[in-house]
Amino acid sequence: MKRVVSVSLGSARRDHKVLVELLGEQFEIARRGTDGDFDRAMELLKEIDGKVDAIGLGGIDVYLFVRQKRFAIRDGLRLLESVKITPVVDGSGLKNTLEREVVRILAKETGLLKKGTRVLMVSSVDRFGMAEALTEIGCDVTFGDLIFTAGIPYPIKTVDELEELANRILPEIAKMPFQMIYPTGKKQESQDEAKVQKFAGFYHDAEVIAGDFHLIRRFMPPGLKGQAILTNTTTPEDIEFLKEKGAGILVTTTPEYEGRSFGTNVMEAALIAVLGKPWPEVSPGDYLELLERLNFRPRLLNL
Amino acid sequence: MATHEEITESLTVFTDGYNKNGRLKIMNRDWDRVVVVQATDIDSLHTLTLVDGVVSLKEGAAGNPDLTVISDSETLADIFYGDITPTEPYNNGTLRIIGTEDDIIRLDFISLMIWGE
Repeated sequence: MKRVVSVSLGSARRDHKVLVELLGEQFEIARRGTDGDFDRAMELLKEIDGKVDAIGLGGIDVYLFVRQKRFAIRDGLRLLESVKITPVVDGSGLKNTLEREVVRILAKETGLLKKGTRVLMVSSVDRFGMAEALTEIGCDVTFGDLIFTAGIPYPIKTVDELEELANRILPEIAKMPFQMIYPTGKKQESQDEAKVQKFAGFYHDAEVIAGDFHLIRRFMPPGLKGQAILTNTTTPEDIEFLKEKGAGILVTTTPEYEGRSFGTNVMEAALIAVLGKPWPEVSPGDYLELLERLNFRPRLLNL
Repeated sequence: MATHEEITESLTVFTDGYNKNGRLKIMNRDWDRVVVVQATDIDSLHTLTLVDGVVSLKEGAAGNPDLTVISDSETLADIFYGDITPTEPYNNGTLRIIGTEDDIIRLDFISLMIWGE
């Protein structure tokens, strides 16, 4: 049996372990949250290094991709580099391939995404593949990176402007303590009430709300009118939360195991274990081929 | 060590750079804030006031600022001239900012958007 562990800066309340079969092989996949405690995450990574088949880093990104440029988050890189033996991934490679495909599948096979569909991406530099794919099919996308990360009520409307701002801001922001720019630990269990109120209009105006679930959750206002939520890493409690807020459909990009959809870091770690290649040698083509063999499909759930 | 006049000049450059940037003014229409800039090694205080997206500068400190930016004179002049970004001095403790975390992040974003545009 292969063992995959996701070490997350998120809340330990979301910890779980499942047994799954992938391409005829048994996998034990576990998630271990550290409640935003960076040092604990580092210790845990060192403890399991060499004892499991692959490690995913959750609740933090290591790499952000904007077109051809890659930006490394300093805190994420420190975690990544603390692992010396076991392959370790952050989910960014899978996001860049799987989520592009999910958008194409939804556009082709459902009425959820089409030319002119109003989409709010709460954050897009962490899933640029999805951002580009949504733009390519002609969706009217609002990139909410400045709104929800910096509190600046400025909707970015084109990938070109997103790229221009990212090139200016990300090299420095990537050096900041990660918890200043992303909700970690207990913050993932609460909402930022002031911003929920202030930025409610962006949610209400959208037909589809896409991106990182912790960000979507932290700023989601009540009174939605059946909007679709395109994300992953959801639990049964999250589904109840979305129902209460009035969301209509949940689309998750990663498969569901025992009632939860896992983060891309977990799935990418599992794929790395299947491939048996070092992460830097894995190409988007490797992922695409494997996703096809595994028949990964987006999951649509009417709420 | 920078002089009070050099800090004033750097803040004037920063203020001019900000006010010439139409996009930044749009971005900050909702963010009326008073920011005091205080040097630790010389007697130097300035106040930046943001109202309706426009920033103004005056010498001396305002009462009850939303944010207080504190560092040595050289670092302050370097930051506001755009010679260095605030991230490193903030991370290593050379630069202290008193205010809410949301305001601190926003100030950091603003400074990053000014230089190079």
